[in-house]
Amino acid sequence: MALIEALEKAIGKDNVLSSEEACRPYECDALSAYRQKPLAVALPENVDQVRQVLKLCKQYQTPVITRGSGTGLAGGTLPQADSVILGLAKLNQILQIDPLQRTAIVQPGVRNITISEAAAKYNLYYAPDPSSQIACSIGGNVAENSGGVHCLKYGLTVHNVTSITVLDMDGDPIIFDEKDDGIDLLALMNGSEGLLGVIVEIKLKLLPKPEAAQLVMAAFNSVDQCADAVTSVLKQGIIPAGLEMMDQFAIQAAEDFAQVGYPTDAAALLLCEVDGSHDQVQVDSQRVADILSANGAHQIQVSQNESQRLALWQGRKNAFPAVGRYSPDYYCMDGTIPRSQLAYVLQKISQLSNKYGLRVANVFHAGDGNLHPLILYDANKPGELEQTEKFGAEILRLCVDVGGTITGEHGVGVEKLDSMCHQYSDAELEVFHGIKKVFDNTGLLNPGKAVPTLHRCAELGHMHVHNNQLPHPELERF
Amino acid sequence: MALDTHNAASPFEQQLIEQIQQAKTEQSKIQIIGHGSKVPIDHQVEHLSLKEHSGIIQYDPAELVITVKSGTPLAELNAVLAQNNQMLGFEPPEYGNSTIGGTYACALTGPSFPFRGRLRDYILGSKVIDGRGHLMQFGGKMIKNVAGYDVSRMLCGSKGSLAVVTELSMKVLPKIEETTYCIEMPEGEAILLMNQMQGTALPISACAYYQGRFYYRVAGEHPKQDNRVEVNLCTNDIWQTLNPFKPDLQQGQKLWRLDVESTNPAIENTIAVSMGGSRRWVASENKPNHPYVTLWDQRFLPRNNDKPCVKRIKSGLKKVFDPHGIFKDL
Ligand SMILES: Cc1cc2nc3c(=O)[nH]c(=O)nc-3n(C[C@H](O)[C@H](O)[C@@H](O)COP(=O)(O)OP(=O)(O)OC[C@H]3O[C@@H](n4cnc5c(N)ncnc54)[C@H](O)[C@@H]3O)c2cc1C
Ligand SMILES: Cc1cc2nc3c(=O)[nH]c(=O)nc-3n(C[C@H](O)[C@H](O)[C@H](O)COP(=O)(O)OP(=O)(O)OC[C@H]3O[C@@H](n4cnc5c(N)ncnc54)[C@H](O)[C@@H]3O)c2cc1C
Repeated sequence: MALIEALEKAIGKDNVLSSEEACRPYECDALSAYRQKPLAVALPENVDQVRQVLKLCKQYQTPVITRGSGTGLAGGTLPQADSVILGLAKLNQILQIDPLQRTAIVQPGVRNITISEAAAKYNLYYAPDPSSQIACSIGGNVAENSGGVHCLKYGLTVHNVTSITVLDMDGDPIIFDEKDDGIDLLALMNGSEGLLGVIVEIKLKLLPKPEAAQLVMAAFNSVDQCADAVTSVLKQGIIPAGLEMMDQFAIQAAEDFAQVGYPTDAAALLLCEVDGSHDQVQVDSQRVADILSANGAHQIQVSQNESQRLALWQGRKNAFPAVGRYSPDYYCMDGTIPRSQLAYVLQKISQLSNKYGLRVANVFHAGDGNLHPLILYDANKPGELEQTEKFGAEILRLCVDVGGTITGEHGVGVEKLDSMCHQYSDAELEVFHGIKKVFDNTGLLNPGKAVPTLHRCAELGHMHVHNNQLPHPELERF
Repeated sequence: MALDTHNAASPFEQQLIEQIQQAKTEQSKIQIIGHGSKVPIDHQVEHLSLKEHSGIIQYDPAELVITVKSGTPLAELNAVLAQNNQMLGFEPPEYGNSTIGGTYACALTGPSFPFRGRLRDYILGSKVIDGRGHLMQFGGKMIKNVAGYDVSRMLCGSKGSLAVVTELSMKVLPKIEETTYCIEMPEGEAILLMNQMQGTALPISACAYYQGRFYYRVAGEHPKQDNRVEVNLCTNDIWQTLNPFKPDLQQGQKLWRLDVESTNPAIENTIAVSMGGSRRWVASENKPNHPYVTLWDQRFLPRNNDKPCVKRIKSGLKKVFDPHGIFKDL
């Protein structure tokens, strides 16, 4: 292949993979149900090499799929057979930490946790903490606008990025900075899922480490009570650093796995962490405990020291693998809903679980309404994956119908293309396609991801016909 | 199907759509106006006024989210939130009569910016009508939502050039007790000190330097500050003085707003430092030689310092949202 040879010449043979075996790890991301071997994998060592890969791919009209660590859960880095995977793992340098300005300038392949580790000597840290933080890259975080347990209080990735450098399909650099005037292109780049440019440098905000943190664990006899307690905490003016909820199945699984002392008889468990100055934390943890018990918590435990606090988190942090032990496979969903709909949605999910005959465990970020139902299935049983996907799509539809959205943090990728047809109208999707064209008129950057074609929505029967006039009558319909 | 009603236009929105469609047919231009509190009204073009489009659409304090019509005056919005012990997280300047839509269109944020984030950080979703007359919704009412490009945050700062914003959903915060302290010192020292203090666990929510004094505001419970003799307890009024900042200028002087790194050393002719060091207000006749300078003289002058590639993107986006060039450009 001429392109592979040209890539080898440009960035060195060692930095280009094309054999079946060498490409295998790049066939999928963490959504392993979809796989495809790419034409080749390019692993540039510096920004200039990234530029050369882009130029060559443009010359050969070959799609480029940028990849960070491949921990995405929506198939955002799924290759096409004729595409090149542009892996940025080798661009893993922290270029500068400015402790006085409280900023870090990093390359995209730097792992999320590494930034906080490097900033720790200045008593600073990088706030967004996706659960995948030991593996995921900061470039992937920006592309997905990732969030973590702390995002209710400290924001998502978009709130913590102050400037980025992006290469367009011609390999030319563009800087987007928070100091820019007019429309907010920096905000637009966050969460653009690798469709608008290749992020090659990022400037981040670092925050001072909070002086203290305390965790309040509370057990409830009903999900409704627990949901109401969450509401009360927020209504009374406390923004917890973390507010996580688990249902009975998840509590049991987490306790079996991590033995941290979770009350397995509870219908719902709430973990509420407050952080800040010593004085504030003392006041807040007491107030949280009071509010939770006034809302019917039958058991409350407040962490008395740092090791107790970390121990109590262990169950929640291991909840996914813990639930995974009960089944050969599980499918992790990600949708958000208004908190007031929590009890209703959980009840509906339980009905759907009966309908499909598939078990579900619920672990979620209660503070921001981000649900993560885990659907247990067996991929070896014919048809079960398809049933699981249908179940998942119904959950997302439910989220939209109660006023929420189809993804809180995992992105759309290829996984949720069909659900996008439910959340957005044709006019909105057209704007998305228009934006893509402005940034990448070749259409070679991560094609077919994140935004469904109108065609696809029409096929699904989600088309909106106004005044009996078809949008895009020129397009073929199936 | 949820979406069939999703973009239903209210009678007022329907009227705006008709106005836009008529402008398209007549190839005329439209200027979007909130309360017209600052924008110079252009009498050569048609006006699309949002003044009457006022009111709270949905507000549940426990969700920490409010949805409002874009013509709602800031004063009204602030009052409703205050009744529930909540506030806007981005402390927008109030010029008397400013609408939330105009504030969003101008991306205006107050002194808490380095600590709590700026306006766009609080925007969750918006309902807009573009230059094709399409009513659309981007984002939503959720704190976490990554479905589709983030158009509602992107439109912050669009100053009426891409689309009419009719509704906005924003994250709000609990109101918290805040205390302001000040210390007399030279500007250079204050810039250093404010950066050092922002790197500590003290819960600071604003920092500025004005008329020889370093001011800092602390939120909630915090260690005693006035145990140092030079530290004085002040009122919170200073933050209103600086936001919106309207100093008396001498003959010939102009006011310039500079966005810089917070650690940038003192800049000549600076009359105030705000936003934790990252904003400098300079009074001078000539434009200071800095990359991010805005003339702050009650007129909308775009900075026009975009690099060619950014200009190309912005004009591309203008064509996506306003292909017939109806909305007045700045
Ligand atoms: C570059 C710049 C310079 C400024 N200079 C000064 C200054 O020197 N002194 C000062 O006191 N203030 C200044 N301001 C502040 C600003 O004009 C007001 O505070 C603003 O909030 C007024 O609100 P309004 O409702 O009166 O908006 P308007 O003055 O009516 O409109 C402001 C802008 O927002 C757009 N807009 C309004 N509503 C909508 C909507 N619903 N949808 C879409 N677009 C909308 C308008 O088209 C216009 O471009 C400046 C702002 C900017 C961005
Ligand atoms: C166990 C587990 C837990 C997780 N928990 C969370 C969580 O709590 N919160 C959360 O938000 N996510 C979570 N995720 C999802 C995932 O980790 C995040 O989406 C993460 O940001 C992906 O980073 P990555 O480097 O692995 O990106 P990849 O998977 O390699 O890529 C993801 C997307 O970003 C694009 N991309 C990557 N790098 C760049 C770049 N430099 N320039 C342009 N585009 C780029 C890709 O094209 C792709 O579309 C979890 C995943 C796993 C497996």
